[in-house]
Amino acid sequence: MTGTVMALFRRVLWIGVVMAGCTLAAQAQEDVRCLSCHGKPGFRKTLPSGQVLDLFVDPNLLRLSVHKDKHCVDCHADVSEVPHPATPQPVNCRRCHYNGNTAGAPQTAKYLEFERSVHGKALAAGNLKAPTCQDCHGGHFILPGSDPRSRVFRTNIPQVCGTCHLKIFADYEASIHGKAIAKGNPDAPVCTSCHGEHNIERPEEKTSTVNPGHVANTCAKCHDKVVIMEKYGVNAEQVATYEESFHGIANEFGVLKAANCASCHTAHNILPPSDPLSSVNPANIPKTCGKCHPGANANFANGRIHIDAKDKSAGIVYWVALGFKILTLSTLAGLFIHIGLDLYRKIRNHQKAGETKPGAASSENQP
Amino acid sequence: MSDPVKTAWSDQDTRAVSEIVQQSVSSALQGEIPPAMTEDQAKRLREALASALAPEVALDVRRAAHAFFEEDRRREKIAARDRVKAGKDADMVERLSLHVRLQHMVLFSSCILLILTGLPIKFHEAAVSVFLIDVMGGPNVTRFLHRIGAVVLTFIGFYHLFYCMAFEEGRKTFGQLIPKPQDAKDAFHQLLYFLGIKKDRPLFGRFSYVEKFDYWAVYWGMVVMITSGYILWFKDVTINQFGKFLFDIGREAHSDEALLATLAIVIWHFYNVHFNPHKFPGSLTWLNGKITLREFKEEHPLEYEEWKASHDKGSAP
Repeated sequence: MTGTVMALFRRVLWIGVVMAGCTLAAQAQEDVRCLSCHGKPGFRKTLPSGQVLDLFVDPNLLRLSVHKDKHCVDCHADVSEVPHPATPQPVNCRRCHYNGNTAGAPQTAKYLEFERSVHGKALAAGNLKAPTCQDCHGGHFILPGSDPRSRVFRTNIPQVCGTCHLKIFADYEASIHGKAIAKGNPDAPVCTSCHGEHNIERPEEKTSTVNPGHVANTCAKCHDKVVIMEKYGVNAEQVATYEESFHGIANEFGVLKAANCASCHTAHNILPPSDPLSSVNPANIPKTCGKCHPGANANFANGRIHIDAKDKSAGIVYWVALGFKILTLSTLAGLFIHIGLDLYRKIRNHQKAGETKPGAASSENQP
Repeated sequence: MSDPVKTAWSDQDTRAVSEIVQQSVSSALQGEIPPAMTEDQAKRLREALASALAPEVALDVRRAAHAFFEEDRRREKIAARDRVKAGKDADMVERLSLHVRLQHMVLFSSCILLILTGLPIKFHEAAVSVFLIDVMGGPNVTRFLHRIGAVVLTFIGFYHLFYCMAFEEGRKTFGQLIPKPQDAKDAFHQLLYFLGIKKDRPLFGRFSYVEKFDYWAVYWGMVVMITSGYILWFKDVTINQFGKFLFDIGREAHSDEALLATLAIVIWHFYNVHFNPHKFPGSLTWLNGKITLREFKEEHPLEYEEWKASHDKGSAP
């Protein structure tokens, strides 16, 4: 019985292999046909607007990409004859990239995340400037994010996002984070470190990682890690001191107009306080604080912003805190001793009264 | 069939039940045990008597209790009237005037409001803080309430200064509250008494060292909290005029003194006026200003002597 089933299975398998082989051969044949035009360097078309569209595809690049086993029509599925009469539709990556696909694509829900993101929503709303998969990942030369040649490799991400977000890219490039990335620093954040990747949302959305209520948590991903911060001489307590400040507490209780990290340090143009261009340079403090505290003057820089009263660096505040600590502990100790002695005396008197006059307590214990 | 009891409980008797019961009871009370009564008949008689008498007994108990308590209340009223007529309060003596009581009420009301709306900010990580702020209507509402409390506290603080200067009673009381060397001696004496070295307690006047400590602790707390509170409230002005460091000092002082004051009140003040075995569950002095003569004699013997002297002189014909 089992033998029969196995034989049947083997036969089906063989048929499958042969059919797949024929299909592959046919598609490879089609690749050749596509490349008869698109494989010629300089194959281009001039649009009615005068814009020149380069239609050349280097087949070698496709063979080096993650889609090396794919063929032209696997993605350009609407092309059924050569030459194709109409402009083919944009490639729809969702044909393979969904959870549970059988095409060998990674099993992720990233496409769904993209559809819910600000970019996906803009695309669905018909915004022709909204990015599609290819705008970030590239077309024919898609590489895994771990490959330094990939468009979505960590240090390449700012340029990719900067293709559209020019002003922000310029700010970021000049910031301490951007400079570190330019040097290839693996710790420094890129756009996606803070904004997310496929799930990027507008800051106004409550679930966004850069919503005013979440900014501190997002920065804390690195800034409260001593292991990372000590390398750069940055105090890892800054997150904790923010959370203990009135700004942090108000933010925690949902008052989102209270300052978060980015309110003072800016979102993209973050620079160390020693830099004269920094928003938190003492010279710029009045302007920065003045955004919320009208009329702020240079005295706003007279004192520390991130203050940890338990640390000597807090200066006079440390001594005030220490003074109150001593005062509180000594006062409470005194009060407890007084109460304890009072109770001790009452109990002793009660016991004595019981010894001398059994059954009747002393007058003191019967108010 | 001549047995009256047998007849009585049979269907042939046409008298009312109460009549039968009355007759049975009276004959039973006179020791007349019905002759020739079987065990079964006696049992039936007992049951019948019990069920017939139950409502009457209950009514009697209620009447008796009512009369008892009414009488008690009546006697109390008469005694109180007599006391008033006699012109002396045998049980309670007023030690604190309405003026002082009202100041105390305003003070503790504003303090409760300030603690409820302030401490959740200091202990913002605690779930109970989140709950409290939520219940009171969110951080903006609690901030507003905190400032109302602050204005009331400031008002009562300054009003008390005014009271201490402008009123005869205030001047006198303030003078009695100033710490004197005798207070240190009293405290030491009290310590020896607590330890059993001295057999007698120190004799306190109008205010013992404990009460003076309470009073001046509030003074200290008011000065720190009000000053630092306004530094925080008018943060832009204070920072612009003096610098961020002053705000930080104000914040630290406000937060630390808040905890110290709250703990002192909860532990010390509550022990003295609520949880002290002599006072439990609480003294009503804050409301009526009165203490019992016993407390008066025990806790303020010197003041009591003074009061007695003037009282006897005043009430003498």
